[in-house]
Amino acid sequence: MAANNFRHALFCAFITLIISYPIIGFNLEAQGINVTLTGADATTIVMVLLAAVIVFLFQMFREQIMGGLKSIPHPLPQSNKEPMAENRRAKIESWVLTGIVVLALFWPFFVSRGSVDLATLVLIYVMLALGLNVVVGLAGLLDLGYVAFYAVGAYTFALLSQYTGISFWLALPIGALLAALFGLVLGFPVLRLRGDYLAIVTLGFGEIIRILLNNWTTLTGGPNGIGGIPDPTLFGMEFGRRVKEEGNTSFHETFGIAYSGEHKVIFLYLIALVLAVFTALVIRRFMRMPVGRAWEALREDEIAARSLGLSRTAVKLSAFTIGAFFAGFAGTVFASKQGFISPESFVFLESAIILAIVVLGGMGSQIGVVLAAIAVTILPELAREFSEYRMLIFGAAMVLMMVWRPQGLMPMRRIHIELKRQE
Amino acid sequence: MQDLLYFSQQLINGLTIGSTYALIAIGYTMVYGIIGMINFAHGEIYMIGAYTALIAITGLTALGLAWLPLILIVALLCAMIVSSSMGWAVERVAYRPVRGRHRLIPLISAIGMSIFLQNYVHLAQGSRNIGFPALIDGGFNFGSGDGFQMSLSYMQITIFITTLICMTALSLFISRSRTGRACRAVSQDLGMANLLGIDTNRIISATFVIGAALAAVAGLLLGMYYGSVDPLFGFIAGLKAFTAAVLGGIGSIPGAMLGGLILGVAESMTSGYLSGEYKDVISFSLLILILLFKPTGLLGKPEVEKI
Amino acid sequence: MRTSVKKLVTAVSTSVALMGAGHAAAEIQIGIAGPMTGPVAQYGDMQFSGARMAIEQINANGGVMGEELVAVEYDDVCDPKQAVTVANSLVNDGVRFVIGHLCSSSTQPASDIYEDEGILMVTPASTSPEITERGYELVFRTIGLDSMQGPVAANYIASQNPERVAIVHDKQQYGEGIATAVRDTLKDAGVEIAMFEGITAGDKDFSSLVTKLKQADVDYVYYGGYHPELGLILRQADSAGLDARFMGPEGVGNKDINTIAGEAAEGLLVTLPPAFDQKAENQALVEAFEEKGEDPSGPFVLTSYTAVQLVAEGIEAAGSTDPFDVAAALREGTFQTPIGTVEYDKSGDMKSFEFVVYEWHSDGSKTPVN
Repeated sequence: MAANNFRHALFCAFITLIISYPIIGFNLEAQGINVTLTGADATTIVMVLLAAVIVFLFQMFREQIMGGLKSIPHPLPQSNKEPMAENRRAKIESWVLTGIVVLALFWPFFVSRGSVDLATLVLIYVMLALGLNVVVGLAGLLDLGYVAFYAVGAYTFALLSQYTGISFWLALPIGALLAALFGLVLGFPVLRLRGDYLAIVTLGFGEIIRILLNNWTTLTGGPNGIGGIPDPTLFGMEFGRRVKEEGNTSFHETFGIAYSGEHKVIFLYLIALVLAVFTALVIRRFMRMPVGRAWEALREDEIAARSLGLSRTAVKLSAFTIGAFFAGFAGTVFASKQGFISPESFVFLESAIILAIVVLGGMGSQIGVVLAAIAVTILPELAREFSEYRMLIFGAAMVLMMVWRPQGLMPMRRIHIELKRQE
Repeated sequence: MQDLLYFSQQLINGLTIGSTYALIAIGYTMVYGIIGMINFAHGEIYMIGAYTALIAITGLTALGLAWLPLILIVALLCAMIVSSSMGWAVERVAYRPVRGRHRLIPLISAIGMSIFLQNYVHLAQGSRNIGFPALIDGGFNFGSGDGFQMSLSYMQITIFITTLICMTALSLFISRSRTGRACRAVSQDLGMANLLGIDTNRIISATFVIGAALAAVAGLLLGMYYGSVDPLFGFIAGLKAFTAAVLGGIGSIPGAMLGGLILGVAESMTSGYLSGEYKDVISFSLLILILLFKPTGLLGKPEVEKI
Repeated sequence: MRTSVKKLVTAVSTSVALMGAGHAAAEIQIGIAGPMTGPVAQYGDMQFSGARMAIEQINANGGVMGEELVAVEYDDVCDPKQAVTVANSLVNDGVRFVIGHLCSSSTQPASDIYEDEGILMVTPASTSPEITERGYELVFRTIGLDSMQGPVAANYIASQNPERVAIVHDKQQYGEGIATAVRDTLKDAGVEIAMFEGITAGDKDFSSLVTKLKQADVDYVYYGGYHPELGLILRQADSAGLDARFMGPEGVGNKDINTIAGEAAEGLLVTLPPAFDQKAENQALVEAFEEKGEDPSGPFVLTSYTAVQLVAEGIEAAGSTDPFDVAAALREGTFQTPIGTVEYDKSGDMKSFEFVVYEWHSDGSKTPVN
């Protein structure tokens, strides 16, 4: 046993050396016009060897180490106590959520502009993740091209504002409805596809939309994107330093306060908050309605669902459409926040990040999704000190999260009734 | 005659790209066939193979070696060893712990691994595009004087032949050898194979290793053919190869080859006769179209759902 | 949950501490915002390299008004979202001058924030015209616009009386912009344009494009974009036997193209700012870069250097570190920089910017074409 372990550990260490030494140990450098190889400096080589040694030791003493780790109390303890009675839990949950929302309403007035801006971005991701949650988490349809609907929402607002000068409030429902239409359109060709075929087709759809946006320069401005997207107004009051549209007054003038860039940012944050809460509530409603039940039924067992009379077409299409609708909301807010959009913001990596948020949060679970969105958006900011290693850490974190806690931060608890035990 | 030459040229271009997609697609299709997951990090393994080959070639030429076949073989071996090791390590670290879970979890793990590997090479080697020496030069030219001259380069021929050899070798391996048989068994029914005493973990590792080795071959060939490497080019190639694998029917090795060739030719023809700008749109639309009529891909086996 | 709150507190307190430490010494913070990671990190490298060198040299010469320049670097990954976050971080960190961003799609939303919060921004690489068309006071550029570079290239091509010209671009903002400028000037000059096509940046296989160019039987191919793709096109064109002269903007004029294209880079035409080669001071600068192992021929190295230099000289000319005063000084002054004589117009663009046609050689050197 020990000998086996030893051989295995040696093998692992050897593999570590092979995968790290050639790539890290040699640097390809362009000297003038030729490419030459230079050995890496001593510290790097030492690090590589150290890594191999660590791997060796870990594999050798794996059982002891794993045993030791298990005895450390788990940071998120699986409750050994009885789960709370359902109605009590639901009440506590709703109080907590209301408390969070109220806090979120007053918080922006006390922090810097940057934090509010970041929070708005988090809220946008929350909306996106909640929408994707419907498609992936509830209905079990693997959608890798969700970013397409996001793009449709954003570009609708941008184009409308460019050609017709429409305001944010009008563009919001239009963008969402148009995105929902695209969701419907995507739904049709994928009706018959299962699992991973669905994944690649949706991915393809997302890419097609992005490429079309990039190439159709006459309509969408191509790679230049579209700028000058207006901020939302409050009953005709604008939040800029100078009023851009005729007939509008300026917010700070109407209230007689000094101009501050923060007003604009806080207002948009509040709008995003309202929309996010709206999204969460609406989807929660859907989950309790027959539609939501049908989604979950489809996810669990498509054949059983069909045999019970559920129309596969209606269920799938409704999932896509409703998911896309909320992406449209998020897109409109995003366009207004940035003032400028370009196809670069809608690449596959975005879809992957939104998907990661859904999975990280625990599929189907709304609170988990919110937590995950906060984590995914804020953690890279905290790691700005290591800016070079940021993406590396992000990738590693994704893998680690999946290995360590694949059910997500707060796995969904299905609405259920518990029967009291007969003593 | 001109038009025919032009058409043949674009066809040759397409078949060349297609063969390379096929080589990479095999890695995807084998892994999917065995454990039913999309290995998003496979494109990065291909990229690492190309980088390793370049490092080996640069190192060997610096040491003074000049005999081309030796350089190529050593570079190929180095690339294959490093890629295979990487493939093995990725499987152990990112996929084995999550095997058997809901389909999305290995997918996210794979995407995370892909991002990790891209940035790993980026940090280690820098972000610039680095030139790859064109070791195999020259070719044939057809066509007369003024008009369009069709060219078939030695490099293109090398790519065709190598792909063919790899495909044949792989098919023979899968159909004749013991491990190949075990691979087929595991892809049919993992549980049963376990019960029959097959070490499924080893077979799965072997699949990743073989796929990675083929990707390394593709890396060396394409590095020489195109001319540069950078940390991000694996992702795009991987995506195309994955599309090709799905097109041909994922899980089927001949399907990967067919899908790769069709995709390559479609891209080339679109570029040649319409516009290079929309070639990706056409590729994906082609995929959607084919899946509309054959939901499991061209050569895919229709999935039998057991209730 | 507890762990994340703790982390947040640590992060906040560290940044507050760092901010406090920053303001203690007498120094001027120069923010550098560009891509350190991501698909265009190699261009970000050029930006950081040039800006850092300038800060080093200015500090070695006694700093600005007796104060040291301190570089504060930010990574925006060339992503508009991150650029906005970076801009907000800059505001939080109290930085008042920023060199950046690189990509126009990042510069544009970030500049809204900078203008709002009174931060001076000089971009060394963004060529989108919209950036300076919005009437902002604090936005400047040290890169020539497509409207300056395009006609130089087009006029040269036209003067060679070609039969047919092909124009290729990489569908990105810089490449397509300049390709369009060249196309329009060529059309006015009555030159026949056989094709105007886009390729995808990041692609490696250009065999179909090369075949198409061969069939179109063109004399000149103008490529709008950067060196990674043009290097590959040159190489693949050479091995396919395409017989045409290639021309590109300054984005292709750096030595990396030789490592990719090898012999095929011989005879490539490039438009570049002239001052680089002619002035003696620039030779010293080139050597300073090469000593550090960095390549000064990248398109954004010297523009970033110049940006820092302009900010420094603007501060000295204005006698204050208030961005609005510095902006006014920049508009009124004339500055001698490694990229030539710089004067600004009202919108923050350089008044005139000379470009010269060079012939590139396979050993990385270049000679002006007459």
